[in-house]
Amino acid sequence: MTAFSVADGRLTPDAIRSYNFPSARFGRRGLEEGHVWEFCRLAEREVVRLLNERTSLADEVQRLRQRVLAGPGSGVRPEDAHVEAVAILSRAQQAADRYVADAQDYCRQLTDDATRLGEEILAEARSRAALVLEEAHGQPGLAAGAGPDGSTAQEGPERGDLEAKLAYLRTFSDVYRAHLHAYLDKLLRNVEEWDRAEKETLATVHADMSAPPDVPPLPPLPRTPQ
Amino acid sequence: MRRLRDLALVQGGALDTERLKENFAQVAMHGDEVALFFYSDLFLRHPELRQMFPVAMAGQRDHLVRAIARIVSDVGHLDRLTPYLRELGRDHRKFGILSAHYQPLRASLLATLAYFSGRNWTPQLAADWEEAYGLVSQIMIEAAAADEKVHPPFWEATVISHEMRTLDTAVIRVATLDRLSYLPGQSVAIESELRPRIWRYYSIANAPREDATLDFHVRVIGGGELSMALTRRLAVGARLRLGPPVGTLTLDTASGRDVLLVAGSTGLAPLKAIVMQIARLADPPDVRLYLGARRIEGLYDLPDLEKLAAQAPCLTVTPCVSNDPDYQGECGPLPDVVARSGSWTGRDAYLAGPTPMVEGTAARLTAQGVPGEQIHVEDFGWSEP
Repeated sequence: MTAFSVADGRLTPDAIRSYNFPSARFGRRGLEEGHVWEFCRLAEREVVRLLNERTSLADEVQRLRQRVLAGPGSGVRPEDAHVEAVAILSRAQQAADRYVADAQDYCRQLTDDATRLGEEILAEARSRAALVLEEAHGQPGLAAGAGPDGSTAQEGPERGDLEAKLAYLRTFSDVYRAHLHAYLDKLLRNVEEWDRAEKETLATVHADMSAPPDVPPLPPLPRTPQ
Repeated sequence: MRRLRDLALVQGGALDTERLKENFAQVAMHGDEVALFFYSDLFLRHPELRQMFPVAMAGQRDHLVRAIARIVSDVGHLDRLTPYLRELGRDHRKFGILSAHYQPLRASLLATLAYFSGRNWTPQLAADWEEAYGLVSQIMIEAAAADEKVHPPFWEATVISHEMRTLDTAVIRVATLDRLSYLPGQSVAIESELRPRIWRYYSIANAPREDATLDFHVRVIGGGELSMALTRRLAVGARLRLGPPVGTLTLDTASGRDVLLVAGSTGLAPLKAIVMQIARLADPPDVRLYLGARRIEGLYDLPDLEKLAAQAPCLTVTPCVSNDPDYQGECGPLPDVVARSGSWTGRDAYLAGPTPMVEGTAARLTAQGVPGEQIHVEDFGWSEP
């Protein structure tokens, strides 16, 4: 129905000026009625829209005027900027705190797990050794009660066997202990490596961030005292 | 003279302590945000101060809020507050705090209080805080200045030996540049160049020596910020800084009573210093030392203690192990072993080590009827895994 020239659905001054109402149909005088009503609706909508826009702009002007009157200079007040900066720095500090706390938790877990694991392995090795010892103690009794012919000659080699087995187990236990120490030692060293790497990364990040211009320098990271 | 005048000022009502307390209670409701704001404000205004603090600041913030709370709650009682403030002032010398730093701190403190007080911030409140801060900082500055005439801010020390006695316990000996005077049983805060700005307290494990060397027993605390560096990475020649000696776990030489020492893990350190002190006495009391560890390997200093016992007839050392069924000697948790080994009501007891062991032993001794003033305690604040 709309044959009006409108931009973005809005009525422009140009559209009003250049609009040609079609003449009424044959036998009637004046302009085509439907077109006129449609034009009026469009004009009304535009006026309402403009009134609303004007109100909100007046509000905005009022707000800006108050801000200008309240504080010296224009734009953001310095104390607002400072509080904002304080908030940003605070969040950055919290992030740093969290990283350190996480690293400590991780390290604590690792150390506790390693200690527990070490104790478990040792306990198992010990109970195995105790079992073998018990077995060894039981064997001579068995041999003694073996028969009336008193095959004591058997006792010698059997005891030798058991002693060899015991010696083997003792060595095994010692070796196990040494391995365990080495393993835990390595674990702790890994944690330290990781810690060192983290420190270096921090230093690099700091160096990178101090590069761009127009950015206030970050507070320096703590340095090793001279 | 000045102190008296200030006291009169506070009590005379120029400073409204109730208003101050009320305001701080309101501000403190914002929790960790308050100290966060304070330090961020301080570092934005004075970036050069950032390097005086560690990377992680959570512990630092906690200390700050506790200190302010303590000061505010006692602000009307300078008699109670002054010793604390003087100690605080002396102690902050090791962090490199100078009297010039108190001004920026004041500005940031006031900005923080104003921010969190919001509409409740008034010129009167600002004046109250200014007044209180002036008073507090003056006492701290004076104490630091007095201390400066007698002591360095910290003692430079060099590691001269470092032994890993077990997987997680090191015995470190250091030599100090200036002689550090202390009482056996006391401890000092240690900072390592491996972990700048992180100070942790360790007991000195020997009585003062001619050559001014000091021993420390360091146990790795999982995730511990300093203990890992001190045990695993410290080498001979490394430099440490030591703060002034603190602590009250010291021998009551006037009591005339015999002595019971109970040490869990590296809690041995302060008690070994006391043993060495007793061994030097002309007429030493009888000393029973109970030494606890989880496993036999944990008795990291036994040979040295046995040597001490051989030279000092007054000393009896009883090692006990709690988690090692193969151990031939005393077995079981320290509190149990001590409690079943005798009646200790006639002795002065000194306990040091992990929290559960110290608390457990103190409870058993109290149950035996040992008076509270005869039980001296140094809680290391951690428990074994």
